[in-house]
Amino acid sequence: MKRSTLVCILTDVHLWVPVVILILGTALLMTLR
Amino acid sequence: MSEVSKGAPGRSTLSLHKLGVFCGLAAAVWLGSAEAPTKLVNAGFSPFIISMGMVMGAFVARWTVPTLLKGIGFLFQDLRDKPHLIVWALLAGMLWAVANTLTIFAVRNVGLAIAFPLWNTNSLVGLFWGWLLFKELRGSGFKGWSKVLGGAFAIVGGAAVLAIATASRSDTPGRAAVGITAALGAGVLLGTMYIPYRKAYISGMNPLSFVTIFTFGELGTVFLLTAVNLGGVGSLVAELRRARPMLFWPFLGGFCWVIGDLFQQYAAKYIGIGRGIPLSNTNQLWGLAWGALVFGEMVGLSPSGKLLILTGSGIMIAGAVAISMADPGDSELVNWKFAMDRECGRYGLNTEQVAAVVAGDDPHAGNAHQRRWWEVLVMCAAVGIFVWLALGTRAQQISISLQWTFVLVAGTLVPLGVCGTLLWRRTRFS
Repeated sequence: MKRSTLVCILTDVHLWVPVVILILGTALLMTLR
Repeated sequence: MSEVSKGAPGRSTLSLHKLGVFCGLAAAVWLGSAEAPTKLVNAGFSPFIISMGMVMGAFVARWTVPTLLKGIGFLFQDLRDKPHLIVWALLAGMLWAVANTLTIFAVRNVGLAIAFPLWNTNSLVGLFWGWLLFKELRGSGFKGWSKVLGGAFAIVGGAAVLAIATASRSDTPGRAAVGITAALGAGVLLGTMYIPYRKAYISGMNPLSFVTIFTFGELGTVFLLTAVNLGGVGSLVAELRRARPMLFWPFLGGFCWVIGDLFQQYAAKYIGIGRGIPLSNTNQLWGLAWGALVFGEMVGLSPSGKLLILTGSGIMIAGAVAISMADPGDSELVNWKFAMDRECGRYGLNTEQVAAVVAGDDPHAGNAHQRRWWEVLVMCAAVGIFVWLALGTRAQQISISLQWTFVLVAGTLVPLGVCGTLLWRRTRFS
């Protein structure tokens, strides 16, 4: 994968919204366990 | 991206909206039917193992029918064209895995009656992300908004009524706060999972390619979560060995799930997540039909309970009808195109080609991709795993209505045939 594509991915809001939700969801799961 | 596009020459002229609606409804049938095989599992197994079995089944099933439709060569070509989307497909699988584990906690603590409607709100979350990030419903008038939003709320409301009606049969009340938090968390995660779905399709990715990568993310995360919950990989393997005589049933559920999810993906592609997801969320109706008619779960239900089931089903159907009639207008389609242009500009995709794929006219869809000899081996191995599991399955002591089983199996196969044919005639599965 090209470096420019990688930068586009890492600066894409479409990536960070699901990533943040995934982190919060995993944290919730670990807390409830 | 144009709704007015009526298909490539020699193909069906069915509108993409109608096609998407059919796919959403077929998804509901297959996702609902995916619950049926798991009902054949006797008690005594951890829900994590049953979930793990289903995900393993989905992973293996991906290499059966979908591989037959589009070869592995097509898959590699699609991934080579849009390699950045691998990240989103993996992410979607991971979101599903965490959400599914949360639903297990939710059902354990507050029961299905409270948990199900709470996580069914995922369609509203998806609708919000569709509006915010992909410009869905933008430019749509009051009428369009009321049909979609009203329909989505009706489906969630119908789910709540159905869940209350069946509550006394399936609940294990417990720690309410934990269960409610888990169910709401699952709803947010599942709703957010549709961001990768929509992103992939406005970038011209094929649903079969997306599902393939999705199953890797899903299996890896479920494996990890199950191992953590059962106390290590050793315990997980031991539990799987113990569960061997019943493992065919969750595998079969996983197979149905893959077919249902594929239809859901096509719905998300052709009518967006705001419309497609609420439609596929009517799967509760089909799950209920299997439970009530085949497994006799509603025997002895009071007249008021039956009335509640009829009311909930009616509300849900009305919601689905409202969404089915909410075709996106020209001004909304312009906004869909803006969202697509963003992806093309950002990731250097060929706008013309992506627009054609998004409109169901993939220029390469009709091309015969060279099949490799080992693809047959992969398919045979996948089918062989199902056969091996089926041969070693112990008969389950559970009474079912054979008559209704035939009716519902036929009712599940008909949408597969009809929708599969429509997809082929209109888009060649693009």
